[in-house]
Order: sequence, then structure tokens, then C-alpha cells
Amino acid sequence: MSAVTNHVDLAKSSSRLLAKLFKNSKIDFLYRSQNSSDWQLLVDGRARGLEQIRDFLGDRNQSSFSLKKTPIGLCSASLMADDSLFAIALKSPSSRAKFSETDKVLLRLFMNLLDTAYQQLLHRRNEKALIFSLNHRVLQLNSLIDTGIEVSKLDQSASLQQLALERAASLTNASKGIVRIREGDKVVEESFFPDRFSTQAINGEQQTIATSFKFANRAFTFELFEKESRRGVIPFEDTDQMLLDALARQVHASLENRFLLEKELENQRFEQDMAVAAAIQKKIIPIKLPDIAGYDVAGINIPSKSVGGDYYDCIPLGDGSFALVIADVAGKGVPAALLVSSLHAYLSAYLEGAIPLSQLAQRLNKVIWRASTDDKFITAFIGILKPGNGELEMLNAGHNPTYLLRRDGSVQELGAVGLPLGMLDMDFPYQSERITIEKGERLFLYTDGITEAVNEREEFYDVERPLRDFFLGHQPAQSGAFIRELITDIKKFTGSAPQSDDITALYLRRLP
Amino acid sequence: MDQPFALTSDLKDNCLVIATSGYVNNVGGEAIAKEFTRHFEKGTKKIVINLAKSKVVNSIGMSFLIEIIEQLEDAGGKLVFTDLDPAVEKMLAIMGLFKYAGKEPTVEDALRVLTSRK
Repeated sequence: MSAVTNHVDLAKSSSRLLAKLFKNSKIDFLYRSQNSSDWQLLVDGRARGLEQIRDFLGDRNQSSFSLKKTPIGLCSASLMADDSLFAIALKSPSSRAKFSETDKVLLRLFMNLLDTAYQQLLHRRNEKALIFSLNHRVLQLNSLIDTGIEVSKLDQSASLQQLALERAASLTNASKGIVRIREGDKVVEESFFPDRFSTQAINGEQQTIATSFKFANRAFTFELFEKESRRGVIPFEDTDQMLLDALARQVHASLENRFLLEKELENQRFEQDMAVAAAIQKKIIPIKLPDIAGYDVAGINIPSKSVGGDYYDCIPLGDGSFALVIADVAGKGVPAALLVSSLHAYLSAYLEGAIPLSQLAQRLNKVIWRASTDDKFITAFIGILKPGNGELEMLNAGHNPTYLLRRDGSVQELGAVGLPLGMLDMDFPYQSERITIEKGERLFLYTDGITEAVNEREEFYDVERPLRDFFLGHQPAQSGAFIRELITDIKKFTGSAPQSDDITALYLRRLP
Repeated sequence: MDQPFALTSDLKDNCLVIATSGYVNNVGGEAIAKEFTRHFEKGTKKIVINLAKSKVVNSIGMSFLIEIIEQLEDAGGKLVFTDLDPAVEKMLAIMGLFKYAGKEPTVEDALRVLTSRK
């Protein structure tokens, strides 16, 4: 036989047993739940049980274990462990047959047995409820872990919130829920579960729990409504609030992780772009300078970032002369590198045309103006050297002064005579100058990454160690040695301070 | 967004096939139990519940399903769930429903299993 699972089944099986004890008697089983004043006739054996129980109890609301002869027959009622009442009413088969004292004892004993059986039923029911409750707790924990994994996988933030809302509603037995995303006072997004509903119809604080967090200037609020039970809506428990908080935290963490991942990917893409730009720039900056008969030339470019805004070159021209160029774009990084590329391309093209230097500078000014934003321009020194006689036609467009060490030991500064290239969209007249580099004389071109190199105390290199003095004080036999000594001196000065700007230098020595 | 709860039922080979959609909560569970009882009282003891369109079940809904399983167990009947969403399947497993009820990928599979039972 299957296990008795409720009071109705218990009454039915008990009545069968009682019928064997009280043969030919009519037997009724009655039941009254703890919160009810009405009796239920569970087994109707035509013993007029309802009449008997009324007579038995009289005005009393309830009774402890008791037994009484009634005008109809014999009745007994017993208060059960859960405050419900069980009653048995017997009616003899004929009016002449009376219930004996033995019958009374028998019924009393049977009520005892019924009480024990009912207690077992309650135990089983409680045990089942406990197992169900424990399983539900396991389910909640498991689902919390699973949801954490799932929300971290989802691509769409909307499904992420929807999933968390569904899980929260399911695990707390809420009948419905909503996620609202606000920017300021404005609701920008709403997700409902199980379907769209109006929150105005829901009254009472106990019928609602909520949690919220802020992310990217948005307030995310999760609300659950109406905790369900088999008896109707009941107040939410503390654990429900904890579960909702935990699920919302998972969404928050997932959104933050996604944000950080996107940022990381963006950085990676940027690094890739920078690597491409650096590779392009490497092709622009000369690896080896050309040999110029009667001269020794050396140069260096150390960008402060992976790509720089400085440029130098020594370009052999068709007529046997050489273009000496050094330039510095305002700014750093990819925008500066792009402008360096433009300068290199236009300069190479214009130099092939063998146009006058002043005209070349005007053209460069125009094209750089068109190719750059308002805050971008280029300072440059361009010189055309005729190696045979040492004549240098030069033009300084807003660049640092170039130093020329004369044979007599004096240093001549070749300063700016024109505006930086691309600074203004006008036909500014650039004027070139001509000088002669005699045998044994040295020319030094540099960018402000050298003069403005800073140490840990934020002191400038040129202020503490004037570059002019270094130029004068270091006259090695080879140009490459001068560049090496210069870089060593700058590094010694800056120490562990990061390189703040691109460092570029070009050194030319006319052999004696 | 999910849809409001709804169910359809059909008798196939003396088996009751209930297909639900939406949240299986107090409302959904009660509706399933009602539909089950209506057929159970007429002697139907083989039940298939297709939860393909129910992705969310709460413990109140599950308590109704457990009652159905118990009644069928007492009566020598059988319940088989089909088309379970992985999350729902895991929930039912943790709550111990598959100790007494079966699960099959599709309704056809479930009917095959139930009709082969003596």
C-alpha cells in the first residue's frame, strides 16, 4: 500500500480498520483544521457524525482527548499535534444495541492510535517540506553560481539583465520583476518578467524587494514583486533580498569586466596601429646616411613613444648636392607621425623638382596646412649642401637654431627666419640664406627633445648643461662619436626620468 | 520578454500531453495540476509535460509538479517531461523530480516510452 500522505487518506484507511473492530456499526470520520470552525465529514458511514459532534462539543471550541456517549451513539474527539481536531462518531446498528464499556475503551485506544498515525503523517510531511526546502537552497546556490557564469558569457547587456531578472524571480518565488536603467531621472531602458505589467497595482512594501547599482553614469534597479506561496502572496524573506543583491552584483561585475575587456581590446588595436605606424616611420627615418665625399655625417632619432613626430634625413639630389633636413611636428603619437609621413613625401617630391628653397618652403607650408589640424605644424631646418665648395643654402622655418662651429672656435647660430610649416594658410615669404662650411667646420642640427630633456627634478637639459657648450666642448674625430657622446650625456642627465619628447640630431663635419 | 502562462493539452495514445508556455509559478503550476486532475479522474495515468516554451520554473510551480508525480506514483502511473531547457532540467534534477518522473528529448520519444510500458 502506498504511504498515507494526507488526513483524508488517513481517515479512509483508519475507517476500514475501525469497521473490523466495530462490526455492523456505522462510522463517521470528521476533521476540523486549526484555523477553521467548520467540520469536514471525511468518511461518511451514516453515523450522523456532524450531529453527534455538535452534541459532543456543545459550546466548546475545541477539546482535548475525550469520549462521550451521545443520544445517537458514541463520539470521541482528539486535539492533534498541529491543533487540528479529529473526531469519530459511531452509531449502533439498532436502537436496542448499546455500546459497552469495552467499546469505549476500544475507541479510546483507537483514538490514541489515530493520534500516533497523524503525528507520523505530520512528521513525513515536515520531512518532505524540509527536504524540499533544502533542495531549494541547493538550487538557489547552484543557480547563483550558474548565473554568474552565464552573465559573464553573454554578449548583449539587455539579455544579461533579463537573465538575472528571470533567475532572481524564479529563485525567490516572485511572481514578477522589472529592471529599470536610468540616466539621471530619465528611464532609458526597461525589462519585464514574465511580461509587461504596471507596478502601480502593487501595494505594500512587504510585497517588493529592490536593489540597485551604478555603472557608466547609469543607475540599474532590479525590483521583484509578490512572493508566491501555495497560500497566496507572502512577505519576502531576508535571503530573497540577499539573492537579489548577489545576482545584481554579478550583473554589475559582468558589465565592469566587459567594459575593461573592451578597453583592453581597444588598447590592443591601438598598439597594433602604433606598431604599423612605427614600421612605416622606420622606413622614413634613414637607417644609414649617404656617404658625402669630404664630409662625415651622422644622425639619430629616438622617439619617446613607439612612433614619433621628429624627422631627419640627408637626401642625395640629382646635381650632386645633398639636402640636410631636420623637422619637429608639434605633438606626438600617430597624428604627428602621419604629418611626418606627409612632410617626407612632399619634401622628396619637391626636391626632385629642383625648385628654389624659398618656393619649396612655401609649397610645404600650404600642403602641411591642408594636411593638418589647426594645432599641428612643423618646425624645420632644410639645407642644400654643395659638397664641392661647402656652400649651404639653408632655410629655418621656426626651428631651433642650428649651430655651426667655425674654424676659429666660434659658434655661429643659424636662427629662424620663417614661420613653422603649416601654421598659417598664407603666402608667407620664406627666405633662404647661404653660408659656406669650410674644411674642419662642424654643423649641428637638433630638435627640442634634446634641449628640453628633463631629469627627475624636472630641470631642463639645456638650462643645466647648455647645448652650445657641449657642442663646443666635444669635437671628436668622427660625427658618430659626437652623437653617441651627446646621447650618453643626455641619459646621464635625465637618469630614470622618462623620455618626455623625441630626440633627434644630425651632425655634419667637413673633413679638414 | 516571456509570455503570460498558457497551456494546451491533447490526448494521444491514452496519454495526456500538456504543453506549457511562460512562467511555471503558482498560476502556471495550478493550471497544470487542474488540467492533470481533470484527466486523472477519468483514468488517465500517463502524462507528458512539454516545457519547451517554459524557460523559467519556480519552486511553487515545482511543488504542483511534485504533487502530480506523487498522485501518479500512488496510482501506478507515470509522468515524463520533454523539451527541457538546460536550466530548467537542472532545476528539476536538483529538486529530485527525476527520481520519480522521466525526461525525454521530445514528446514523440516520451509517448514511445509511455506506450511501451505495461
